[in-house]
Amino acid sequence: MADPGEPVRSAVGDRGAWPVLPIIGYVLLFALLPVALLFGQGLWAGGGAGWIDALTQSPLNRQAFENSLEQGSLSAVLAVPIGYPAGVFLGRYTWPGRSAVRAFLLVPFLLPSIVVVLGMLDLFGPSGTVSSAIPALGVLGHGLPAIVAANLLFNVPIVILFTALGCESASSELEETAATLGGGPARAYRDVWGPGSWLGAAAGGFLTFLFSAVAFATPLVLCGARCYTVEARIWYLDQYGFDPTGAALLALALFLFLVIPTAIYLVLLHRLRSSSSSVRTRPRPGRVRSPLAYALAAETIALLGAVAFFLGTVLYRSLSPPGGGTFGAPWAELFGPAATHLLGIPLVQVLANTLFFAAVAATIVLLLGILAGYALGARPRLATGLSLYLFLPLLISPVLLAFSLAEFWRPVLGGESTVWILIIVSQSILALPFALQSLQIPLAGLSPAARDSARVLGAPAWIAYLDTDLPQVRRGLLTAGLFAFALGLGEFTATYFLVTPNFATLSVAVYDLQDLRQFPLAEAAAGLLLLVSLAVFAAVNYGGNRAEL
Amino acid sequence: MPSSEPPVLEVEDLSVSLGRTSVLDSISFEVAPGELLSLMGPNGSGKTTLLRTIVGLERPARGAVRLDGKDLRDVPVHRRRIGLLLQEAALFPRRTVYENVAYGPLVQGRSLSETDTEARRALELVRMQGFEERNPATLSGGERQRVALARTIAAHPRVVLLDEPFAAIDAGVRAGLRGEFRHVLAERGIAAVHVTHDREEGLFLGDRVAILLEGRLRAIGAPATVYDAPLDVGTARFLGYNLLPEGPGWMAFRPQDARLDPIGSVGLPVDVLAVGFTGRGSLVVVQCASGERLEVELDRHAARPRPGEHLALSWERSLRFSR
Repeated sequence: MADPGEPVRSAVGDRGAWPVLPIIGYVLLFALLPVALLFGQGLWAGGGAGWIDALTQSPLNRQAFENSLEQGSLSAVLAVPIGYPAGVFLGRYTWPGRSAVRAFLLVPFLLPSIVVVLGMLDLFGPSGTVSSAIPALGVLGHGLPAIVAANLLFNVPIVILFTALGCESASSELEETAATLGGGPARAYRDVWGPGSWLGAAAGGFLTFLFSAVAFATPLVLCGARCYTVEARIWYLDQYGFDPTGAALLALALFLFLVIPTAIYLVLLHRLRSSSSSVRTRPRPGRVRSPLAYALAAETIALLGAVAFFLGTVLYRSLSPPGGGTFGAPWAELFGPAATHLLGIPLVQVLANTLFFAAVAATIVLLLGILAGYALGARPRLATGLSLYLFLPLLISPVLLAFSLAEFWRPVLGGESTVWILIIVSQSILALPFALQSLQIPLAGLSPAARDSARVLGAPAWIAYLDTDLPQVRRGLLTAGLFAFALGLGEFTATYFLVTPNFATLSVAVYDLQDLRQFPLAEAAAGLLLLVSLAVFAAVNYGGNRAEL
Repeated sequence: MPSSEPPVLEVEDLSVSLGRTSVLDSISFEVAPGELLSLMGPNGSGKTTLLRTIVGLERPARGAVRLDGKDLRDVPVHRRRIGLLLQEAALFPRRTVYENVAYGPLVQGRSLSETDTEARRALELVRMQGFEERNPATLSGGERQRVALARTIAAHPRVVLLDEPFAAIDAGVRAGLRGEFRHVLAERGIAAVHVTHDREEGLFLGDRVAILLEGRLRAIGAPATVYDAPLDVGTARFLGYNLLPEGPGWMAFRPQDARLDPIGSVGLPVDVLAVGFTGRGSLVVVQCASGERLEVELDRHAARPRPGEHLALSWERSLRFSR
């Protein structure tokens, strides 16, 4: 029997799957090939087979791996139990404002990491809003607790969303049937919807591990060298240790380190998506009545309140720094000559860079999405292979991508004046797996009937695609583009690795300003970046489909 | 069959709203032990909502559902002892056929040996022995429905609700499966409420039939009684009667009671629009001067008219309804 989630191939007028070639070529040229060459170069210069021994002789390298493992595991282990109850509440119960909350939960994922880091300092740093009132919570302002807390802010919403998706993937018919056979709520949990929720939570947990193990800004700002993840250590070795070979070998080790958790995450994601696309679901039966539902609601409200409080604090502190001064003054200074002097270029140009890079990266993702849509309509069986291929960049951490692009494409493109091209490329490659997620479900649901009719009526393959398929996935495409734009706006790690002063983006400016101890200006820049990200997020939800992780 | 015993299921003055839309309005009926009630109605008439309310998946705005005289208002779905069979068999995908059938007794806390006996007996009843270790995905539509019936029966329900269980089954298998379901339920003496939009299926299966139109129960009784004497024009239309406006009301007659004669004979002048072969004879679609389109069933021996012919339509028996 055909998989119900699998698109049906058009019966009329074959069309070629050649548009898949630019997608394959783009990822190959700007991600896989540079990374492979970087690894080859590292192995060549680093002594071949004994490279792992050589690498692990450095205590700092070993420490970086331990840190990645510790920060990733701790964040995942905490994110799952914190996010699971709220995920169940979101996926199992009907209540007013449910879809708005679901949309709001994507905000932390889209938040620039540097803004989150600065927000942690605003709340829990030496003169933080919370740590001033409750000094014991100052522990969250520095070191491992701060890093894990920042990771949780990003990732708990991911666990919530995946858990909710898992709950919703259970067939309501099956659940009703189990009940009529005598299975109570506990059996329904065990036999029908519980396994889906565990699957979702596990997928969220593994994604949390992947993000946290390669975190860059959090250990960099909130702790320093002793907390560096492998990602930060690679950056340090290349930029300050002047050891590109060591950095390349460490990058290879990180790549191998990520293979198993990435594979597990992809398997879980595939199972989650295939089960959720193969069931007919009625609206969830649960209404908020029982004590359990009230407890789940309370946890959800507390988490949402924490995120809202965090965002509010970042915005407020950007306008009103703790040392006093006129309300709004840091924003005015941000656009003044002092900030220009510190950053090397006017903030307007920083803002223009940010928007331009993100817009071009999003356009690339959008074009690749349109081509993918055409190719998948021609060859639905390509779907699994293509989506696996597009997930390969998940294995390539932002620093590794930036490092390999800098090593192999910067000389080809002609040095520093063309760095902006590499920033755009890196942003588009990093956004690709997540942005195209939003497109996968509408693409899988494409009906060939309208396309066949257009072909029978005489439309060439491309016209039929533009007239029938594209309108069906238009909103998915828009979401993918906006999602890529939002991710590009806040991208810090790869951009920071590649950037030169002329091409600074807002996230880089935030980091540079706080590095120069210009905290009010850094916070104002973070507030500006947050506002821009929120505006894009609003557009994602207003103009497109629900974005998917 | 209907009996003088107290009813096993009573539905009294049941009204259900989904959101602000009233879906069912003052529904009342009873089902006797071992009786099969066929509830017929077009799509959107509220049949499925009625079953979901009886089983406890929807809450009524008003009225009561009683099982063996006990009000089920505060009884949760899993304690009602009412089985539900859906159009999609809804078998547990990661369990074998045997595990699916054993699910009910097991979750009700029966012993393993009792569960095994129940499951095997139910599988035997639906002639699915030998399929125990099969994965549901490898079964045909008809086999899946038989497993679903076995699973329902093994859970020892007092009443089984059948929500169009044959709608997705191939026509060739459907007739046999209907008979098999009827036989199995009768064999176990289980009362059942079966809903369908297929009037032939409903009339065939039901000890009694009921007609549900726009959320209201319009008729209930023996199949022949309901079919021969519909109480209103809506019921007559659903049962396939031809309707002609007559004065302030309607006149209704059945396609098999009509005949076509050469023009000039006594009857209503009509034009033949289409003629088709049905196996038992011909079905002729005609249009009268006022624009109504009517159906006429002719037996195999009657002369088949040609499309475009002008003929006289007459009928043996008719009913009259006021508006």
